[in-house]
Amino acid sequence: MKTSSNPFIQYILDILIGAKSLAIGMWVTARRLFKPIITVQYPYQKITMSPGFRGHIEFIRFDDTKTHHCVACGLCARTCPSHVIKLQGEKNRAGDKKVGRQYIIDFSKCSLCGLCVDVCPEQTLKFSREYELVFYQRWDTVIDIMHRLEEKQ
Amino acid sequence: MTELIQIIKDIYAFFGYDLTVGLVGLVVLLAFVPLNVVFMVWFEMKVAAHITLRPAFMRVGPHGILQNLADGIKMLGKDLITPKLADKFLFWIAPIVIFVPSFVGFVVIPFSPLMQIKDLNVGILLIFSFSSLTVFSILMAGWSSNNKYSLVGAVRSVAQNVAYEIPLLLSTMSVIIMTNSFRMSDIVAAQTPVWYILYQPIAALIFVISTTAECNRSPFDLVEAESELVSGFHTEYTGIRFGMFFMAEYTNMFIAASMATVLFLGGWHGPFLPGVIWFIIKVFFLIFIIYWIRWTFPRVRFDQLMNFAWKILIPISLLNLMITAIVLKVI
Amino acid sequence: MLNKITIDDATVNERVYKLNLGPQHPSTHGVMHFILTLDGEVVISCEPNIGYSHRGHEKMAENRIYEQFLPNPPRMDYLSGLIFNYGYCQAVERLCGIEVPRRAEFIRVITSELNRLASHFIGAMDFVMGLGAYTPFIYGWDDREQILDLLEAVAGSRLPYSYGRFGGVRNDIDQAFCDGTRRFIDRLRKRLKDYHDLVTGNIIFIKRTQNVGVITKETALEFGVTGPTLRGSGIKYDVRKHEPYSIYPEFKFEIPTREEGDCLSRYLVRMAEMEQSLNIIEQALDRLPSGPIRAKVPRFVTPPAGECYFAFESARGAVGFYIVSDGSRIPYRIKVRAPSFSNLYVMTKICPGHFLADVIAIFGSIDVTVPEIDR
Repeated sequence: MKTSSNPFIQYILDILIGAKSLAIGMWVTARRLFKPIITVQYPYQKITMSPGFRGHIEFIRFDDTKTHHCVACGLCARTCPSHVIKLQGEKNRAGDKKVGRQYIIDFSKCSLCGLCVDVCPEQTLKFSREYELVFYQRWDTVIDIMHRLEEKQ
Repeated sequence: MTELIQIIKDIYAFFGYDLTVGLVGLVVLLAFVPLNVVFMVWFEMKVAAHITLRPAFMRVGPHGILQNLADGIKMLGKDLITPKLADKFLFWIAPIVIFVPSFVGFVVIPFSPLMQIKDLNVGILLIFSFSSLTVFSILMAGWSSNNKYSLVGAVRSVAQNVAYEIPLLLSTMSVIIMTNSFRMSDIVAAQTPVWYILYQPIAALIFVISTTAECNRSPFDLVEAESELVSGFHTEYTGIRFGMFFMAEYTNMFIAASMATVLFLGGWHGPFLPGVIWFIIKVFFLIFIIYWIRWTFPRVRFDQLMNFAWKILIPISLLNLMITAIVLKVI
Repeated sequence: MLNKITIDDATVNERVYKLNLGPQHPSTHGVMHFILTLDGEVVISCEPNIGYSHRGHEKMAENRIYEQFLPNPPRMDYLSGLIFNYGYCQAVERLCGIEVPRRAEFIRVITSELNRLASHFIGAMDFVMGLGAYTPFIYGWDDREQILDLLEAVAGSRLPYSYGRFGGVRNDIDQAFCDGTRRFIDRLRKRLKDYHDLVTGNIIFIKRTQNVGVITKETALEFGVTGPTLRGSGIKYDVRKHEPYSIYPEFKFEIPTREEGDCLSRYLVRMAEMEQSLNIIEQALDRLPSGPIRAKVPRFVTPPAGECYFAFESARGAVGFYIVSDGSRIPYRIKVRAPSFSNLYVMTKICPGHFLADVIAIFGSIDVTVPEIDR
């Protein structure tokens, strides 16, 4: 900002420089007034999420078994920091591998950290892209993953 | 139909011209003022939203016109809570008193050559004298709320309003000595070839800045600064009492903008359309400028506000007045 | 303006009153409580009252294995979540002696600097909103939205990231991310001029922030202030240059510093740091190597017994992770040194003598994230 030694001229310069800065600021706002809006009116227009988006976890459908590869080892349930996962498996005969039969998550506690997806030895979990998760009761947040896999057929 | 005309002629003969105009004007105003506030709030929200790159209301009515009407009706149904240790009489009367000056101001504004409720000899002075009453009401509201935030806000507003009335009056005087009359219709009639804004641009600028400060609008809105004091003097008011403060603020802005139109922009003069429409267009253009200023600048601090009024606005408006008087004497 | 009224005179004076700038207030960013003693409009003393957001992160660390603690650091300071995430991973890597592949280091630097940019948008523009201008704040969020979209395609979340793992990062970045980032950098360089027109040159803003809340060099060193708050007072200290970690020594960037120590200089330091971050991102994108993105680490890591302190620079200052391990999978103690805790207490020294409106301006310019104070 320009300065001068004479206080009277300094006074006049202050007023003029100040007024010019205010006018420049108003010009910026006026330009933006006529630009298009950047928001999306949600229920009437929806955005598709990117492939990396993290919704709640779900099973990947493999081609050889036409369903998941879960062997009910329990690593995901032990790794979860918030104790979200509960699962059960069953064995048909001694010597066979176990197969997961029930897999329930409590989504209200999930922090979407991804440790369960990383630690699974069969790589059978992935993130879904669900974001419209609204529940009327607290117990509706308990989601049955196997059931969702059947439903997606 | 003929009976209706006979009834109107009887009323006219009984009351005389002035009172009939007064009654009709009162009825029109009671309908006009709330609808005006609804429109002004919608206009502000749309301007603010497009400056900040988003659409505002879109749902209630086409582009949200009826949203504020719905808000007003909702406000009528809210609880009226009085704090326990508040001063009850002052707390009750403050929202009523703040509305009176704005209402009275409408009496003398010339919307068109015929549409003026009463053409007083001292029209401009009436509006100025009544607008000082708003300070009174803000102080009552702030004191009686029994809340430290409200008191700080109210005390600030007294100093601010008193300080900014002086440049307001001085810039108005520069116009009045050019027309030699306080009547609003004379001032409008004297602007026929050229509007006064071309003769007095500095006075117009000072007038707009001072009315922004008088109406407690940004950048001078420390009275109800939302970021510092939670809501200033109307923190403790709920429901329709808050609605009255809100309506009074917007009506004050409308009256200030109409005064600026009458003094500087030529009132209802204009080429093709009838006078009323030109008047409304000019008033809303000035109101748009006030909104634009609000959504661009930060707030000034209290001591800088007083510095600005006393050290910058008053010397410049005095200088303007002197130059106008000298030029008028010479020419 | 500067009435030096001490607290002893004040107890006798009848005009003095206490005001709660309470836990619920529109402009304390977070749940922050100040007890101000005011004389008219002049502040006599200012005491912060913290503890409203204490969630017990450090206690949680004593009951979880090292991998299970990974979601917690981003939730301490949610605005620099990715930087905290990498900091914790790097602290454990230093303790175990794991070496991170080159490509993972480059990805970490690029995403950290993007996160720092996003945090500075909020930090600088929240300060302006506390002064009363609502529009630059919204413009800042518009630009920040572009960064969050870029990071969501890579890291999966927008605010509390869980992307870093011990030994590298979780998944790779692709060409779309690099192109998007380059386009974003070009666009932002043009938009920064708008911010300088609208805010920095504005006479009301300058008068409101110049010579307000001056932190001298001695005060800053006494309270242990770090980050842009320290650099705005004239001391040139940045953890990335003075205790270098990761691959920061390979990049050429400057540390912007200002001498005056008032609110305006802290704001200008943040705006200048944004430009330096853009330089770092460009240099990293030009030199991005190919290769693995994660070192071979056992599934559940078991560090040897010992302790380790790791310091890094978040958007608010120098953060430190101090890990004590007793040789098992569960840490014995994790202590986090949060910069906002030290930065906040400077306010007890510099607020007396200013107006009430200035307290909000000073608090905004120090740029505190309240959950980080309490953890």
